[in-house]
Amino acid sequence: MSALVTVKNLKKYFPLKTGIFRRETVWVKALDDVSFDIQDGETLGVVGESGCGKSTLGRTILRMQEATAGEIIFGGDNIAAMDKESLRLKRREMQLIFQDPFSSLNPRMSVGDIIGEPLEIHLALDREERKKRVEELLGVVGLSPYHLRRYPHEFSGGQRQRISIARAIALNPKFLVCDEAVSALDVSIQAQVINLFMELQSRLNLTYLFISHDLSVVRHISNRILVMYLGKAMELTSTSKLFETPLHPYTRALLASVPVPDPHKKVSRRLLTGDVPSPINPPPGCVFHTRCPQAMDRCREEVPQTKESTPGHFVACHLY
Amino acid sequence: MNPNLQRFLKRSARNFGQFWRQLSRNKLAVVSLAMVIAFGLVAIFADLLYEYDFVTSNSLENALLKPGESGIVYYQEKDIEHTYILGSDNYGRDILGRLVHGARVSMIIGFATVAIAILIGGVLGAIAGYKGGLFDTLIMRATDILLSIPTILLAIAIVAALGNSFFNLLIAIATSMIPGYIRIVRASIIQVKDQEFVEAARCIGAGDLRIVLRHILPNITSPIIVQATLNVGSAINWAASLSFLGLGILPPKPEWGNMLSEAREFIQYAPHLLFAPGITILLTVLAYNLIGDGLRDALDPKLKR
Repeated sequence: MSALVTVKNLKKYFPLKTGIFRRETVWVKALDDVSFDIQDGETLGVVGESGCGKSTLGRTILRMQEATAGEIIFGGDNIAAMDKESLRLKRREMQLIFQDPFSSLNPRMSVGDIIGEPLEIHLALDREERKKRVEELLGVVGLSPYHLRRYPHEFSGGQRQRISIARAIALNPKFLVCDEAVSALDVSIQAQVINLFMELQSRLNLTYLFISHDLSVVRHISNRILVMYLGKAMELTSTSKLFETPLHPYTRALLASVPVPDPHKKVSRRLLTGDVPSPINPPPGCVFHTRCPQAMDRCREEVPQTKESTPGHFVACHLY
Repeated sequence: MNPNLQRFLKRSARNFGQFWRQLSRNKLAVVSLAMVIAFGLVAIFADLLYEYDFVTSNSLENALLKPGESGIVYYQEKDIEHTYILGSDNYGRDILGRLVHGARVSMIIGFATVAIAILIGGVLGAIAGYKGGLFDTLIMRATDILLSIPTILLAIAIVAALGNSFFNLLIAIATSMIPGYIRIVRASIIQVKDQEFVEAARCIGAGDLRIVLRHILPNITSPIIVQATLNVGSAINWAASLSFLGLGILPPKPEWGNMLSEAREFIQYAPHLLFAPGITILLTVLAYNLIGDGLRDALDPKLKR
């Protein structure tokens, strides 16, 4: 397998003006020096608490917002340095699926127009061909051709998410970023949509970056998982290794916080105390040291480098 | 009939039905709408009701007749008996006839100025709202400057500077309305442009023009429609005011404002000369305002049931 997407030292800082005259600029470090790659055909899950930079990561990789520094290599081209027009053409190959199926569809456009729009922009199809392709796409995502003329408000959340998916796969992309794509749905619907994602992956040879805060969802769908905390990558390894032998103290705490659906089972939990520090002034050294049960003096001073502790298991922690 | 067209018509009929149910709850708006439609028909068919030459030519022997009185008018080389339903003015011209032709002028001014203002204000507001940054600052500060001058004063200044003509009157009134549209369009675009479906459109590779025209504009039509309806009334009012001051349409051309202005001198002997155009202006402007209010309520998605 080869890497489809390679992210090198990606940084995304948001400026925030403060002070009485709004003259001082401080930076919110939403992504701070993140590097990893995504293999062709795999699903890379991204987990972390709210505000850890998961969504920023997905959006920056697709360049829906500009990166502050770093490289994003996609199919040999550096997305971060592309000019506007080639980026627009490159969008055929990479797509984003949004969290909220209610605001991600234009209420004034029919489903046929919504799904047909990418075809209209990128392909020179006549009306009939486009309609045929839209009907085919509706079938692929489990809707019926007669839904074509309806408007988004006539659908349920799960159906709307299917429409979003149909729009995203209309141009046969290679890479999909799913930004909390199932979190807004009911649990039973979540399962259906996740199954649709997996089915599409094997059928269309898709690569996913699957962002979620729900560990069980990520565990189900991902081949590998990236754990993020405060804009930094903490640990990256295969799903089985992450759940069996988590190395980073933060990963362990995260796994321990997963609720167990059995009221009689007593679990001993070592939950974290305190809150996530502000990304405006992240702690020096390892960003996690303020909450880490195993913090040492070194953690407060030195930023841990990402190490490959065992083959394919990357961790950024001084313990290893 | 083509099934697609059929379905489209059915859907539009249903949407319109829903909209109409909302609007028809407001009785004042319905009455106003009927009145505006009646005035519109009168304006369109003015030539069939009264010939233009007839309402502009003098017939001094019939001057200042009371409403309902008849006189013999020598017109187009023959004597005809004519009943002045609303009386005649100081030159013996039929007041009702002049009101009918004045309605045509007022409607043209009302709709043309609003169209010009929407076009210019809409484009500027869209640039300011969508592009932001320097464009936004420049356009909005210019808007603030325009708004700081009282509208009627601004219109007077423009007509005085450009000269007295129908076209300049349109320009003057449209210019006074542009800032309103810039603000409305800008505010609505800012509200819509950060929604996810706009981001989704960008993600599939849509250009700026497509995003604005297909994704943003269709979602901000309601406030523009409301403002446009209210402004048709104001434009008619301003046109009448400017004509009253002698800066718009000049006599002998029939226009409600200049009719009022001419009638001023006869307020003691023939007050009906003042009442006729005065009440017409009042009713028209009021009707447009009431429709505007009704539309605002009917188009507000929060009130939809």
